[in-house]
Amino acid sequence: MATERELSDFLKSVEKRAFKRSIYHVRDEEAALDIVQDSMMKLAEHYGDKPAAELPMLFQRILSNCTLDWFRRQKTRNALFSNMSDFETSGDDGDFDLLETYSLTDSSQLVESAEDSTRRAQILREIETEIQQLPGRQREAFLMRYWEDMDVAETAAAMGCSEGSVKTHCSRAVQALSKALKAKGIQL
Amino acid sequence: MTNLPIIQSQKEADRFGRRIAVRLTAGTVELPYAITERLRAARVQAVDRRRAANLVRASSVFASGGAATLAFGDGGVSLWNRIASALPLIALAAGLILIHAVQDDRRASEVAEVDAALLTDDLPPSAYADPGFAQFLKSGRN
Repeated sequence: MATERELSDFLKSVEKRAFKRSIYHVRDEEAALDIVQDSMMKLAEHYGDKPAAELPMLFQRILSNCTLDWFRRQKTRNALFSNMSDFETSGDDGDFDLLETYSLTDSSQLVESAEDSTRRAQILREIETEIQQLPGRQREAFLMRYWEDMDVAETAAAMGCSEGSVKTHCSRAVQALSKALKAKGIQL
Repeated sequence: MTNLPIIQSQKEADRFGRRIAVRLTAGTVELPYAITERLRAARVQAVDRRRAANLVRASSVFASGGAATLAFGDGGVSLWNRIASALPLIALAAGLILIHAVQDDRRASEVAEVDAALLTDDLPPSAYADPGFAQFLKSGRN
């Protein structure tokens, strides 16, 4: 069972990344903060007695579910203006994904900060933009694998899909990102 | 030919992914103070929530502790719990019945003693109901 200190340290280590990941999905600062807070609460309340080693996978899963819940609430709120055909997936991997649908239909809402002027900040902004433009499942898999440093099995468990799907999503995300960044003249 | 993947090996893909991750991590350092403060507050609140959840769990275990010592299995908990809670009531009722019976017995024997004394006396019991005899007793006392 994770101690209070372990739980606190774990949350401290993931909170900023979790916030950024939520921002990439929902593109709304307040909503992202609410999602992260909600995820932290759920983890602490329902899984606070789990071993410290299980916390990362559990938290990623809760964060994904909270994000999906947010999109569902948004969809319900906008039900009058939406059509069920919006939910049809165009992907060939057979996975239905609300995030993917939402990000594809809503890409015009990208908002960029224009305050940063350094080259490093510009590159970061370009990277973040490209990540936001990835289909939801690809973005999830890519960020969990490389940013959260989870292995394929852990990512698959957190995403609720097969390891093969994780590999496919990651591979496509890497290809799309490298292609987009190269087109912008960015070399990492 | 233009659709050929830019990154062809898994190692290369992993290296690329990690380089992106390094850039993203660097970006989290520059988060505005208001955001980091809200994240900190959320974290503190979550840890408090966990403490409260643990307290609730601990108190429920404590409350069922007495019954747990009498339990012989999952199904027996409620039965033994009920029996254990009914025992004091049963003991109290039995005690009250016993006290009542003893007192009743004592009262009956006292009445019997008085009756026996009256019946074995020289004066017949009907004399006490006679108004003249009562008057005689009063005047004799004076």
